[in-house]
Amino acid sequence: MSDTASPHGKGVRERLQHWLPKLVLSPSCVLILFFVYGFIAWTSYISFSDSGMMPDYAWAGLRQWSRLWSSWTWGIALHNIWVFGLLYIVSCTVLGLLLAILLDQRIRAEGALRTIYLYPMALSFIVTGTAWQWFLNPGLGLEKTMHDLGWESFSFNWLIDANMAIYTVVIAAVWQATGFVMAMFLAGLRGIDGEMIKAAQIDGAPAWKIYARIIIPQLRPVFLSAIVVLAHLAIKSFDLIVAMTGGGPGNATAVPATFMYSYAFSRNEMGIAAASAVFMLAVIAALIIPYLYSELREPRS
Amino acid sequence: MSFLHIHHVHKRFGETHVLKGVDIEIEKGDFLVLVGPSGCGKSTLLNMIAGLDSISEGELRLDGQRINELHPSKRDIAMVFQSYALYPSMTVAGNIGFGLEMRKVPRAGRRAAIQRVAELLQIENLLKRKPAQLSGGQRQRVAMGRALVRDPQLFLFDEPLSNLDAKLRVDMRTEIKQLHQRLGTTIVYVTHDQIEAMTLATRIAVMRAGELQQLGTPQSVYDDPNNLFVAGFMGSPSMNLVPARIAEKAGALVALIETEKATLALPIVRDRQALTDWCDKAVMLGLRPEAITDPASANRDGGEIFEADLEVDLVEPTGADLYVVTRLGGTNVNARMRPGSPPQSGTQTRFAFDVSRMVAFDPDSEARIRDRASVGSAPLASSA
Repeated sequence: MSDTASPHGKGVRERLQHWLPKLVLSPSCVLILFFVYGFIAWTSYISFSDSGMMPDYAWAGLRQWSRLWSSWTWGIALHNIWVFGLLYIVSCTVLGLLLAILLDQRIRAEGALRTIYLYPMALSFIVTGTAWQWFLNPGLGLEKTMHDLGWESFSFNWLIDANMAIYTVVIAAVWQATGFVMAMFLAGLRGIDGEMIKAAQIDGAPAWKIYARIIIPQLRPVFLSAIVVLAHLAIKSFDLIVAMTGGGPGNATAVPATFMYSYAFSRNEMGIAAASAVFMLAVIAALIIPYLYSELREPRS
Repeated sequence: MSFLHIHHVHKRFGETHVLKGVDIEIEKGDFLVLVGPSGCGKSTLLNMIAGLDSISEGELRLDGQRINELHPSKRDIAMVFQSYALYPSMTVAGNIGFGLEMRKVPRAGRRAAIQRVAELLQIENLLKRKPAQLSGGQRQRVAMGRALVRDPQLFLFDEPLSNLDAKLRVDMRTEIKQLHQRLGTTIVYVTHDQIEAMTLATRIAVMRAGELQQLGTPQSVYDDPNNLFVAGFMGSPSMNLVPARIAEKAGALVALIETEKATLALPIVRDRQALTDWCDKAVMLGLRPEAITDPASANRDGGEIFEADLEVDLVEPTGADLYVVTRLGGTNVNARMRPGSPPQSGTQTRFAFDVSRMVAFDPDSEARIRDRASVGSAPLASSA
């Protein structure tokens, strides 16, 4: 790099070439720094402040955090996210794997079936939530149809039952994500060496044992990816619940995301809302960061 | 009664006719090598013996029993795959013992069997490792261990050495042969490598386009090929194939070969009766490189030597041998000579032809022209 001897014009062009990529990228860098990481920092600060309806920058220590953890609604929200998350992840994984195995039997019209199963993923949660709300609404959907058909004693009112409402949300969410998980497992199954299955057949293993002992253990990376994707979807779940139950009946289907929204925008408790938001971020980070670390590190080794 | 009897076996995948009626019989303890270029149907035939592919037509008998409809696990066979097909989630011991476990052999018996095989293959120190931690040669051994541990009636090998590097391939080839000799097992082995076929087999089946070309001992396939394809496929460097014309000269049958300077008249000593009918007709002569030498290293005891001066085109030393290229009948011909004092290219040198090893083919049907008495063991599949 000896520009000293070169003519002035060439030096300018070289310097431009050197700086151009940085200039082009810097606006988006600045925007992300400000609007993502800046607001993360801001929210974190607010959670330690005295904020109510409006931001108040007076330091309040852990007051908002202790109020959050003593809140009865927060307890319900945490309980619901456990129930919802666990059922959602387990059902999607089991059903997705089952569908993938069935689709992998060299059946006819596999392409069409795959698309049908995958299609719910193309809908937004709002549409899924609204559709399932209509479908499960006792006065409108399944129950009314059965009554109209003459099955008077049929009853399915989980949607308005405070103890059961969270399970309707699970059903809708599983319906939406199972096809996606199936596609992941199907890709994994296609990557398995066919000779290995032939070897197991010669070894005398029945089909279910070939799956249990040889194929499924090899799908471990797919399980990991599926669980991480589903777990962060579960924690972020907001629109589905808002569209389907609005967090009700009462607070019966409240989850941390709806809790945060209602405390921030309708209950004028910005500090508590910020604390709950930071808590959710921490949980998601605890899931995603180790996963990304293991995924991105692998190619180098 | 033969041990493995492949009787008129056909395979069709929809419209494509992959195997067109193959007949092979081998005895207990035989090492049968199916060899041929890719797409000849040899792997399909092996998969059919294993039960992994269905049989469209014909019959398979193992030790007198029809096995067409038997599930692979009921056929009392074991198979070693090209990709080794080890189960990655199990340890080496788990891999070897899996077949026994599926057959409900108790744990103690399993452990003893695994130990016995591991000692045989010298992989005792690897038993606790996972397949991902093994080298190619070690995986190959584990795959063989998995087959050996069940002590089946028949072993199937599907190109087991093709994923190894050249050096290791030769070592493993020797080991497989030693194993066969020590255990006296019956083996069907698929390869596209004719050297592997020659070194390992007690019986070779040369296949092309779904048809059996020749079945016989390695030496008979090498010395007495059924047709031009077998002659060209087996042996490296391959057999010299020279266009010639049969003629009668002074009461004796000769093969006339055009060279640049003169016409060479090689006396016919082999298949003389059959070739009488070919008088004044064009044939294709086959001569192995080692049947064309320098006069000093010619085999004068068993062979019949004819000598001629020819121009040297090219000299290719390999260390052990010296290949001298000359032109006969318009094609390049390889002669194997003693290294040491190589002739200069462009000069004349003396060649000695062992005409007792010369074979002749019909240039149109590509079939061998041979006397009745010397017909080989398998019927000729002519491509006429």
